[in-house]
Amino acid sequence: MIYLDHHATTPVDSRVLEVMLPFFTDLYGNASSRTHQAGWVAHDAVERARKQVAALMGADAREVVFTSGATEANHLAIAGVAAATNRRHVVTLVTEHKAVLEPVRRLATEGWSVTELTVPSTGLIDPAEVGAAITPATALVSVMLAHNEIGVIQPVAEIARLAHNHGALVHTDAVQAFGKLPLDVHALGVDLASFSAHKVYGPKGVGALFVARGVEKRMRPAVIGGGQERGLRGGTLNVPGIVGFGAACAVAATELPSESGRLAQLRDRLWQGLLAQVGDVTVNGAIAPRLPGNLNVQVAGVEGESLLLGLTEIAVSSGAACLSADPSHVLRSLGLSRDAALASLRFGLGRFTTAADVDRAVAHVAEVVTYLRATSPMARAAAGARG
Amino acid sequence: MPGYSAAVLDRMRNPQRVGTLPESAEVGTGEAGSLDAGTFARIQVRVRQGRIVEARFKVFGCSAAIAATGLVTEWLEGASLEDARRFTAERVVEHLDLPAERAHVAGVAVDAARQAVRDAGEKAGQQS
Repeated sequence: MIYLDHHATTPVDSRVLEVMLPFFTDLYGNASSRTHQAGWVAHDAVERARKQVAALMGADAREVVFTSGATEANHLAIAGVAAATNRRHVVTLVTEHKAVLEPVRRLATEGWSVTELTVPSTGLIDPAEVGAAITPATALVSVMLAHNEIGVIQPVAEIARLAHNHGALVHTDAVQAFGKLPLDVHALGVDLASFSAHKVYGPKGVGALFVARGVEKRMRPAVIGGGQERGLRGGTLNVPGIVGFGAACAVAATELPSESGRLAQLRDRLWQGLLAQVGDVTVNGAIAPRLPGNLNVQVAGVEGESLLLGLTEIAVSSGAACLSADPSHVLRSLGLSRDAALASLRFGLGRFTTAADVDRAVAHVAEVVTYLRATSPMARAAAGARG
Repeated sequence: MPGYSAAVLDRMRNPQRVGTLPESAEVGTGEAGSLDAGTFARIQVRVRQGRIVEARFKVFGCSAAIAATGLVTEWLEGASLEDARRFTAERVVEHLDLPAERAHVAGVAVDAARQAVRDAGEKAGQQS
């Protein structure tokens, strides 16, 4: 099985696991215990990890709030800001992850006004459209930095500038961009940004919210009890997970400059291979600016579910969920038909993907699509249409 | 893979009897379903002396549709026209253990088979 679903999750890098292991056994102290050595060791390890995580996002360590993952970070950003403001309007995009859309839509049930902006087929929002949607009542603007399905990179810096003109706070779900693109949250100008460890070869169950200095005064915690994490997130810290998150960020920081280019080359090799060997494939969303390891394509002439189930040798994500009649809300909002969305594949290349993996994946997709097209009564018409 | 039986997945990944038969007096063709509904099947049978000697299919649809049309085509080959008229969607659902939300594709496959058999029967009738 060739794993090409690195947007969903990544394996824990062995260098990361090695650093984590002692914190499950010998170094099991509670980072909040201030009265003995075990607690101090755990505390120091968490603070070292905080610096490593902060460094990869260009933040000060004091601006990092550890959470159980990106979903909780998004929730803290949205619900936390909403609970501390008199404003009652939020702006986001229809293509956001459900971990942003659902907390935003909950605000709508609580009397908030919610603007979900649509995007063109490129998936890219025009910052001026966001600017036009912002009013004096806007408390928060939330736009994903790099998209988890189609990989496109939104103009968040420009959006942040426009939002700040109106005194609104700006949040970005930066999970997919993290460790893949050079990132400086201060240069980006956002107030809040969400991150996850398991997307950067760290463990599952740990994430972080960047909270720019001073912004915590404009928020209320979502989880209380204990006062940890600047009072924004109560609860005993997940020390092994946080240590692993830090180690994963340290590895990513070292490898990012070369890895980014390598992934982009592999992605281009994948696209050229699909074009040549599969044919009748179309990229979903703008080809650039896009995450280096992302390719999302629709395959003409095949039905989505049988395509996915036919692909037994590669792990990819699809516009279809098995036996689900609901295609991706993101692809549908780009204007794809239901069938085209269902017959779309998301390839996510990662640190351990090789050129040989890409070549084998292309050959396998070509084989499966060829037999599905041969099975289809429409294949001849499609071939005729191609001339 | 959640939801589908091994019988469905095997037939979907290794479909047998995919293809078309050239039109002739002994070949009947049946089509059922629609692209809008997500499943479209075409089955063809070659009939000699009241017996189906060859059957082929093409289908656009989900894994269950490929498996169901393939299964019905397999049943057709070697069957008498009389037997072929008695195939039911229920039997297909049972044989493939189709999930309820995919059971309708068995109806599409059986409809295509019945039409193919009817077409072949009519052609045979015209000849006699």
